[in-house]
Amino acid sequence: MFLGRVAGTVWSTVKWPQAQGLKLLLVRPYRVGDLPPGAAAGASGTTPSEPTDDLVVCADTLDAGPGDDVIVAFGHAARVAVSEKLAPGDKPSVPIDAAVVAVVDRVEIPR
Amino acid sequence: MIRGTVIGQVWATRKARGLDGQTLLLVAARDAEGQPTGRLVVASDTLDARVGEDVTVAFGSGARNVLRPGPDNRDLLCDAAIAAIVEGAG
Repeated sequence: MFLGRVAGTVWSTVKWPQAQGLKLLLVRPYRVGDLPPGAAAGASGTTPSEPTDDLVVCADTLDAGPGDDVIVAFGHAARVAVSEKLAPGDKPSVPIDAAVVAVVDRVEIPR
Repeated sequence: MIRGTVIGQVWATRKARGLDGQTLLLVAARDAEGQPTGRLVVASDTLDARVGEDVTVAFGSGARNVLRPGPDNRDLLCDAAIAAIVEGAG
C-alpha cells in the first residue's frame, strides 16, 4: 500500500463490463521528503508539501475526492476492497489492480 | 520484500471493512547501501514495530501470510505487511 493525495478523476466509456460503475481516481504517492518529521497530513493537521511521484489510477468505493489523502492497495488486496461493494459472484473478476482502501484522518511522523 | 525504517503511523476511519483492526505504519524504503530511496510504503503491523526500527516488508500473498498463514487467506485485505524487525544487516 502507499499514501497519496487524490489529484483528479478519470472517465472512460469503453471498458470491461466488470468495471462498469467503478469510479477511477488519479492519486499521486507521497515520497519521504514530502512528509517532513513533525508534519501531519489530513484534515486535522498542517498541510504537507505537494506529493512528487508518478500518478496511479485507482478504483474508489469510498467517495474520495481531489485533495483527500488516501491509502491505496495494489493487486488482490485492491480487488478484495472493491468486492466489498459488489455482488458475491462478481468478486474475483474485477479488472483492477489498485484501489483506494482508506481516506486518511491523520499521519503522525514523530521528530 | 523490502527493507526499510518505520517513520510513522497512519489513521483512517473511512476505510474498507477489510482494514478494520489493522495497524498501518509508514515505512521508508532503504537501498542496498542502507540509504533511503524516497519510496514510502504503508504496511500492516502485527509485530508492534516502533518508529525508528528497521523492518522488512512483505508484499502480495507473502503479506497475507504474515496476517494469517495458510491457503485460506485470500479474503484478507492486505498487500504489504511488516514481516520482521531487523537487528542487523551486512
